[in-house]
Amino acid sequence: MYRYDEFDAAFVRERTAQFRDQVMRRVRGEINEDQFRPLRLMNGLYLQLHAYMFRIAIPYGTLRSKQLRKLAFIARTYDRGYGHFTTRTNIQFNWPRLVDVPDMIEHLNEVEMHSIQTSGNCIRNISTDQFAGAAADEILDPRPMAEILRQWSSLHPEFSYLPRKFKFAMTGSPNDRAAIKFHDIGMKAVTNAAGEIGWEVWVGGGLGRTPMIAKMIRGFVEHENLLAYLESILRVYNRYGRRDNKWKARIKILVHETGIDKLREEVEAEYAQIKGGVLTLPQAELDRITAYFADPPFELVNATQIDVVKEKAADPAYGEWLERNTHSHKRPGYVSVTISLKPIGGAPGDCTAEQMETVAELGEKYSFDEVRVTHEQNLVLPHVRITDLRTIYDTLVEAGLATGNAGLITDMITCPGLDFCSLANARSIPIAQAISHKFASPERQREIGNLKIKISGCINACGHHHIGHIGILGVEKKGSELYQITVGGDATERAALGDTLGHGFVAEDVPAAIERLVDAYLERRQSADEPFIEAYRRLGEAPFKEALYGNA
Amino acid sequence: MEILTGNELISGATVYLSKSGAWVEDLQQARVFGKDEAAARDAAIEATRRTMRINSLEIETVQLREGKIYPDRIRERIRAEGPTAPRFDRQHLGQDDHVSI
Repeated sequence: MYRYDEFDAAFVRERTAQFRDQVMRRVRGEINEDQFRPLRLMNGLYLQLHAYMFRIAIPYGTLRSKQLRKLAFIARTYDRGYGHFTTRTNIQFNWPRLVDVPDMIEHLNEVEMHSIQTSGNCIRNISTDQFAGAAADEILDPRPMAEILRQWSSLHPEFSYLPRKFKFAMTGSPNDRAAIKFHDIGMKAVTNAAGEIGWEVWVGGGLGRTPMIAKMIRGFVEHENLLAYLESILRVYNRYGRRDNKWKARIKILVHETGIDKLREEVEAEYAQIKGGVLTLPQAELDRITAYFADPPFELVNATQIDVVKEKAADPAYGEWLERNTHSHKRPGYVSVTISLKPIGGAPGDCTAEQMETVAELGEKYSFDEVRVTHEQNLVLPHVRITDLRTIYDTLVEAGLATGNAGLITDMITCPGLDFCSLANARSIPIAQAISHKFASPERQREIGNLKIKISGCINACGHHHIGHIGILGVEKKGSELYQITVGGDATERAALGDTLGHGFVAEDVPAAIERLVDAYLERRQSADEPFIEAYRRLGEAPFKEALYGNA
Repeated sequence: MEILTGNELISGATVYLSKSGAWVEDLQQARVFGKDEAAARDAAIEATRRTMRINSLEIETVQLREGKIYPDRIRERIRAEGPTAPRFDRQHLGQDDHVSI
């Protein structure tokens, strides 16, 4: 994993001292809130419904155990003993006091973390595949380039006041687990005709009130030219992106209104100017950063297979956890383990300080000191020996973290919603809890199979509802919460936006509506091997619309 | 009818302007401004702004139901009670966080 050099350390130290001074000036009344707000937002400090909310960056979702322990310490010392992992693979604390935040940041700095650029119209935390560097299907570990992009984009003088926020996602695998087509810029590692690995670049994806699937802008960019190419896109966006209307300011609108071909011409013209210049990435620098992400010292191990059938017979809960929560690894004898933060009836993404410490210890002992955060609000131990799985599972059971539901109907993405968020129009977490209880039975969940539900409490779509196989959007109508249901969204390489099939439902009726959709799928699927999303693609919306609204 | 609400600077806690001119945690202690009290309301807003201690200052419409103040917006009802899921106690003012106009 990347370690700060003296430049990084000095940079965050100076920034923390600056922010401490800004906080004290605000408290003393030397600056007003209009002056202070942009300063606190630049350091990840929001004001929500009930209190401040402090968002901390977890670059490309990767944590060392020491860092996770520090987050547990912060949760316990300055907050209410828990944190909330987000779809940007960051963590949020919901109850800090303003005067404590500089101390919280100082603690973060001790473990090479900070909160810079977790808000504001700048380049936000770069997200990637949670199995990066471990997955069997990967052609390249995207994290070294993600780290280079993090350094390039941190306080980039030209891109600190973009028309709107800007999000990157990267994948090194053809199987997109990072939702790259729903980011301002998405990058996928690809191999060209000469056998060289580079980057396919997608632009203009996004969710929110105008959801768009990204368009490919360049099929191949060499590693050495990636910074120059991205800078070219950002320059064109900075020049032409709309600053007159917040709702039309994201690059997806520019792509849509300009057209991808015209935009590509603009970007290529800029690229021709700067390609080969100071932004050319020297191979030595790429090698230097890549070395931080070198494989850990994997062992040659004898056990290379998991006999799920046998384990299920002996201990169904363990067998089912193995089946759902392990992912194939590039090295024989190893797997990646998903630690679900979606217990039945829980708040998706919430994790107590004690649970963080348990996961930190497991990461240290059994996963080469590494833990990942997923954009689906779970945690991952990326490099686990198959022979250690039982010990890990038993520890997770004790910590309340052994729910074997990864990718199942109860593994929902859910934004904080109106229980916490000042932008929300409706609550999200209670809806997730009600659905979770409705489908609590492990047998029922397994019968249904892969099904992603995503819930947002407002049109800003932090809960990614547009790309849920079933999406739920909370709105306010005549003073009450109402929930619109979409079907057919897909965050993967087969990117699709969900279809709205009809009117919304009151909160009490949402779980039953979801059950009707599920039953319609189960009745019509060709076999248990045809997942919900495939059945929807084959059948179209009619049977699902009928399930929701009848024949009327 | 209207009340004034905001978030106190240090704690971030949800607070209401009371009849006494103090900013307090309890919605039921909020001063209710009638239709003919716009001038008093606006003066209170201005005085509050001068303290620089109340953020997200807003006018909220309310009803009186059996003598209790009941905000029209669900958002405000959640702000007054705290998160519903998971259920958490609201943020509270610290010793030095009390503001008056």
